[in-house]
Amino acid sequence: MSNIFRLLIFIITFIFLIGSNAIAGLNANTKYANPDMSLNFLTLYQNSNRNSQTSNGFSLQEAELQFFSDVDPYFRANALLSISQASPTSEFGVDPEEIFVETTDIPNVTFKIGKFKAALDRKNLMHTHALPFIDASLIDQQLVGDSLNEVGLSATLLFPASWFSELTIQALQGQNEILFNSPNRNVPVMLVHVRNLWDLSDDLTLDWGVTGSGGNNSYGGSTQLYASDLTFKWRSQIGGKYKSLIWSSEYLYANLQGDPAGEKVGGLSSWIQYQFAERWWIQGRFDYVGLPQQGNNPIQRKESALIGFFPSEFSGFRLQYDHLDDGQPVAENKISLQMNITIGAHPAHSY
Amino acid sequence: MNLFKLSFLILGLSVVLSFAGVAEAKLNVVTTIPDLAVVVSEIGGDNVSVQSISKGTQDPHFIEAKPSYMVKVSHSDLVVSLGLELEIGWLPPILQGARNPKVMPGTKGYLELGPYIDPIEVPKEKVTRAEGDVHPFGNPHFNLDPIRMGVVAVKIAERLGELDPEHAASYADQAQKLKLRLEEKAKSWQARINKTGMKEIITYHKTLNYFFDRFGIENPINLESKPGIPPTAQHILEVIKVAKEQKIKLIMVENFFDTSFAERITREVPGLRVVIIPVEVGGDPSIKTLDDLYEKIVSVIEGE
Repeated sequence: MSNIFRLLIFIITFIFLIGSNAIAGLNANTKYANPDMSLNFLTLYQNSNRNSQTSNGFSLQEAELQFFSDVDPYFRANALLSISQASPTSEFGVDPEEIFVETTDIPNVTFKIGKFKAALDRKNLMHTHALPFIDASLIDQQLVGDSLNEVGLSATLLFPASWFSELTIQALQGQNEILFNSPNRNVPVMLVHVRNLWDLSDDLTLDWGVTGSGGNNSYGGSTQLYASDLTFKWRSQIGGKYKSLIWSSEYLYANLQGDPAGEKVGGLSSWIQYQFAERWWIQGRFDYVGLPQQGNNPIQRKESALIGFFPSEFSGFRLQYDHLDDGQPVAENKISLQMNITIGAHPAHSY
Repeated sequence: MNLFKLSFLILGLSVVLSFAGVAEAKLNVVTTIPDLAVVVSEIGGDNVSVQSISKGTQDPHFIEAKPSYMVKVSHSDLVVSLGLELEIGWLPPILQGARNPKVMPGTKGYLELGPYIDPIEVPKEKVTRAEGDVHPFGNPHFNLDPIRMGVVAVKIAERLGELDPEHAASYADQAQKLKLRLEEKAKSWQARINKTGMKEIITYHKTLNYFFDRFGIENPINLESKPGIPPTAQHILEVIKVAKEQKIKLIMVENFFDTSFAERITREVPGLRVVIIPVEVGGDPSIKTLDDLYEKIVSVIEGE
């Protein structure tokens, strides 16, 4: 039985159970026990001059099925199942991208247990459909893969300060194939993240995060991973429905002891988004990998441009052009068109 | 791993300190919109410190859940919202991020006012997003009704009294005064509106429908084609047709919406006036109280 068939049976059974629960009760009050649920899916068309290396043509980039609810007076639960193809020729698979509970009844601190996105930086906490571009930045793709999401424990403290200042400490079972994935399961990956956000004015915020993480890798050595991101967001409190500006930059560095391809690698990504009408955005991004250069691997540069149109909060279209110069004889030029659809009770995105 | 040890130490100390807390004399109240903040301020006086998350110049449907709002809520004793799903897109992440169990839904520190008023425009049929951003529990903009805001004031006073029993009588007394004052003024506003003969007004969104419902004015069509969906060319033609057929004299564009659509319509309909209208306290620098807000709307209807 294929994974997609199993998933369909699971979804149909789940919806039937929820539906029968609501119908059997014949009372709106019984619905309080049902979790909120939503489905987001991304349909993608791509065309690149490197046909052999990319998935040209139409594809279902990803579908995300999300359930969330309060568990009881002490916990809230969230589950996000990601459905995607490992490669254009393989069948669809289901990945429990996030399944966790977090506390709701403890002042100032949130404890989280389960599988969740690690607090590496702002982008790592986003789901695919909320990422600023259709694809992840080069340094993210090279160091983290799709996302650093692991099973473990997390504690996030909101400092009692006049501005937003948050400390996150996470102990993770490192299974990320690039960074950790040590055969020794007894030593967890530790991650510390500090995030500060200041309101520079009513219209402008400065968001700064810094992360340090360490654990054992699959080469028999240890990995140290550091990240920092800086984001300015501007939206006027007068006329802010129609114009806004975001400028965000991130730097990631890893020391992968024992990696035969080269132990030290770093890269940055910087992007800007300008909203010029109620439902329209233009964006530009610059990626650079090679700060420091990993062994003899070539330095990579990528420039991206994007225009986005969102008819409503629940539907959107994005057209992206990428130019990648990664040391190969011919640079890659790629066009991507993505449709982004959400149905159901989707939770609000974070700032 | 010294960095990790230091982090754990900071986390541990902060948790201990946060549990210890520091008692403050005043009740800290956070409201979702400024209209609720002015009501809390009038009722609570010096016993209450209040701030609003959103400003009167912003569309209350679409507020960004800034982490700085979480800081405000983390220090609060009471969060007051309109409810009816007006704030559903931004208040839940603010409450979660605030990590303040005192003000989570279901506690005394969280007051959602929608269930305590009689809402208008509650959909009778199944709600679908094909109809735009329809609120399934009814129109949430009841801050534009002076009578319902009197009811709201009494409810807020009750909750403040539960949290601060020492001043409960004062809160109740102030709320009654506010309620009676708005009821008295509503009679005068009704008389002035009747005198204008204004029976129909077009708005961008259904923001003013509680005010219109209270004072006997119809809202025959909106500039947006569906709730939350900007106007289409076809819909603008429909608005022009309705304005001409029903001889409508006034379009009110809520202060956070684009006025260009309304201005285009006025070029096609002689005698049609377009006015940018504040719909919350602070929507215009001169609007500092609920009385100012309703007075402004009445004076615009009168032609000022």
